[in-house]
Amino acid sequence: MKMITRILLLIFLPSVIARDLCKDGKDGYKVRLSIKTALGDEAYEWNESEMFLFRSSLAFAMRKYTQRETFDISNILVCNETKRVSFVFVVTSPNDSTKLIPKDHVASAVRQHKHRINSAFLLSDGTLEFVGIPPTLAAPITYSTQPWLIVFGVVIGAVAVGIVSLLMSTMTRRRRAADKGVDSGQEEEQMEGIVKGNGTSLTRLESKDGVYNQAFSNDERFTKL
Amino acid sequence: MSKEARPSWDSPMQFVLACVSYAVGLGNVWRFPYLCQMHGGGGFLIPYLLMLVLEGIPLFCMELAIGQRMRLGSIGAWTAISPYLGGLGIASVVTSVYLCLYYNIINAWSFWYLFHSFQPVLPWSECPVNSNRSGYVQECEVASPTQYFFYRETLNVSSSIDENGGVHMGLALCLLLAWVIVFLFIVRGVKSTGMVVYFTATFPYLVLIIYLIRGFTLHGAWNGVKYMFTPKLEQLANPQTWINAATQIFFSLGLGFGSLIAFASYNHQNNDFEKQAVAVSLINSSTSVFACMVTFAIYGFKATLNYESCLERMRVLLLNTFGLSESDVSIDNVTVWISHLNHTNPEMFATIASKIEVCSLEAELDTAVEGTGLAFIVYSEAIKNMPVSQLWSVLYFIMLLLLGMGSMLGNITAIITPLGDLKILSRTFSNETLNGLVCLVCLLLGLGFTTRSGSYWFTMFNDYGATLSLLFIVLFEVVSVCYIYGLKRFEKDIEDMLGHRPNWYWRVMWAAVSPALLICLFIVYIINYIQGGTPTYQAWDKDLGRSVVKEYPAYGQAFIALLLISSLSCVPLVALYEFCKRKHRGQPIRQRQTVCTVSSGL
Repeated sequence: MKMITRILLLIFLPSVIARDLCKDGKDGYKVRLSIKTALGDEAYEWNESEMFLFRSSLAFAMRKYTQRETFDISNILVCNETKRVSFVFVVTSPNDSTKLIPKDHVASAVRQHKHRINSAFLLSDGTLEFVGIPPTLAAPITYSTQPWLIVFGVVIGAVAVGIVSLLMSTMTRRRRAADKGVDSGQEEEQMEGIVKGNGTSLTRLESKDGVYNQAFSNDERFTKL
Repeated sequence: MSKEARPSWDSPMQFVLACVSYAVGLGNVWRFPYLCQMHGGGGFLIPYLLMLVLEGIPLFCMELAIGQRMRLGSIGAWTAISPYLGGLGIASVVTSVYLCLYYNIINAWSFWYLFHSFQPVLPWSECPVNSNRSGYVQECEVASPTQYFFYRETLNVSSSIDENGGVHMGLALCLLLAWVIVFLFIVRGVKSTGMVVYFTATFPYLVLIIYLIRGFTLHGAWNGVKYMFTPKLEQLANPQTWINAATQIFFSLGLGFGSLIAFASYNHQNNDFEKQAVAVSLINSSTSVFACMVTFAIYGFKATLNYESCLERMRVLLLNTFGLSESDVSIDNVTVWISHLNHTNPEMFATIASKIEVCSLEAELDTAVEGTGLAFIVYSEAIKNMPVSQLWSVLYFIMLLLLGMGSMLGNITAIITPLGDLKILSRTFSNETLNGLVCLVCLLLGLGFTTRSGSYWFTMFNDYGATLSLLFIVLFEVVSVCYIYGLKRFEKDIEDMLGHRPNWYWRVMWAAVSPALLICLFIVYIINYIQGGTPTYQAWDKDLGRSVVKEYPAYGQAFIALLLISSLSCVPLVALYEFCKRKHRGQPIRQRQTVCTVSSGL
């Protein structure tokens, strides 16, 4: 009778202890998965096999983090499972199954290998949450030359070419007109002299094609001021 | 020996397109939809169209008539009407200078956004990560990525107008590009402008049509359009509605700057400006309504997006707190679940009660934005959520650029035409050099708007630089033409140009209705200024992640006064100067001149 009790106790003790370790929750982390949000119609069911995968990927992360200690799937204890798909896990040391690995070590391990864990479940940082372990965000892309400067350079180069060509064409047109003007410049100078001698300065008209002389058009042409 | 005859447009179509390109500007896109939303949706069209008929079309036609008749820019034209009125032209030029200084900054911002659209991920779609990659930059968390990109990365805005900073090099480069392009467009005067307006007047419509189609096919766009077209006619009883309709028509057509006079001065004498005035005004107003539809489609999309993400947040909150399965709660029954859980599990519900938000589509649609906030923040936020967002972003900012550049053409022509008509300047400088100098001076002064407090100075210029002065100028214009020059004489001039006298509609509007409306608006503005107390502006607070209202400091208020006085005082000062000049010369003040040339030897 005593033997049987002792044997039974020995069989159930580890799991009892395990559940107590997990439920204490001091060194544990809560995990939330949003499978349907991430995958929609291709969502898989959460079951024992998926949980097995989770525990093994976490053991993998711990192994890579410590690089010496051989964590096994039995070192990852899980409790408080809900339909949300959320649960709490703790990690026990491979040497002593009653000792828990401290929180910050677990956090660092998870943070370093979050990408691998995400990929195992086809999820992302937003849909596989470790409550209390913020994800490391992707590094910003650095460019050797800012792309906007390249576009700017192209545009301002094109505009500069346009301006230069317009100015050149204006200058050549002016030079050609001046050359033609030189030939007929002689007789025009004479005319200018005659006109100037009259007293009325026609040079005022040079920039207009005639002036509306208001005095000679109609009676009501005086400004009332 | 003779200089070239006054250049002219290659065809009347160029003139019409130039006027359309000038009048259809950013205000049609970012001011009219806001007014529509504020004043009862579709019902706002009633005061808007009424004001167009009473005020917009007559004043527009009058300015075209003056320009075409006098064949000079604003200074020369008003001096020709009466030497005492030369100040009116100078006031127009001064106001145009202020406008040119600050308007091109908007084009610089559009260029900045356009160039930053050529990236795999739009920079305003995500917050940048902070230095240790544990989260996003604090300012971006509190505000939103689009606001962060505008206030921090584009403007690098300081927290008040007092704190100056260095010039933002990227923006300065974009401003340089904007001015270089303006120079390219006006370097040959009307000849080059005439070529360009074919593009700047028509391409924005193409983009608007594409956006209309894209907008209407967006998820939730119909909510916005329905919201706009349900008229709330009770708003018509609000006098502010009518005042806003009148001011919007007035400023949207670009009256008083001298641009229309300048454009029309390059017309042939017999050009039928009357029909063109009606056409351009109608095109301008219909573009406003068209842009309004596009904007409301985009609003609807954005509001629906915000509403659905609010519901999604609530759903996730419920799932996480109560451990429910994902398939139980969907966005449609979130509200049902909230009330259910409140009843069945009140203690646990109380723990998240502070985080529960009320998601309302109407509340999202009611947030009305105008101005640069609409163009650069709201629109870019909508664009980042569209598929192939880079393409839509490029299209949108090219459209903004064309609208802005088209208006800049008119603004800068309003300055270079009267300056080019002045004998002293046209003898010393060639046309191209003069245009280049104007652009250079405006560029150098405009660099002040690229500093860290530059956008606050921009707001100051935008609100005070060209508002009251324009009302005064146009009021003076219409009174001068009708009562100083003489309405009969003006009608005779029009008969000479068009072959028929203007009919009763024009006469009644010019002589009575438009001046009366302008006097009302002028008085309302003055009352608002007096009652409004100290002028204030919106400053960006980076810790709160939103704008706060601040008062202008003493030197800021002095500068506002300077802006207003410098343009308003031109009219009395020049009149006084002419009066003293004639008295000094011993000439009679009122003279029957036997020979008077148009130019008075300025």
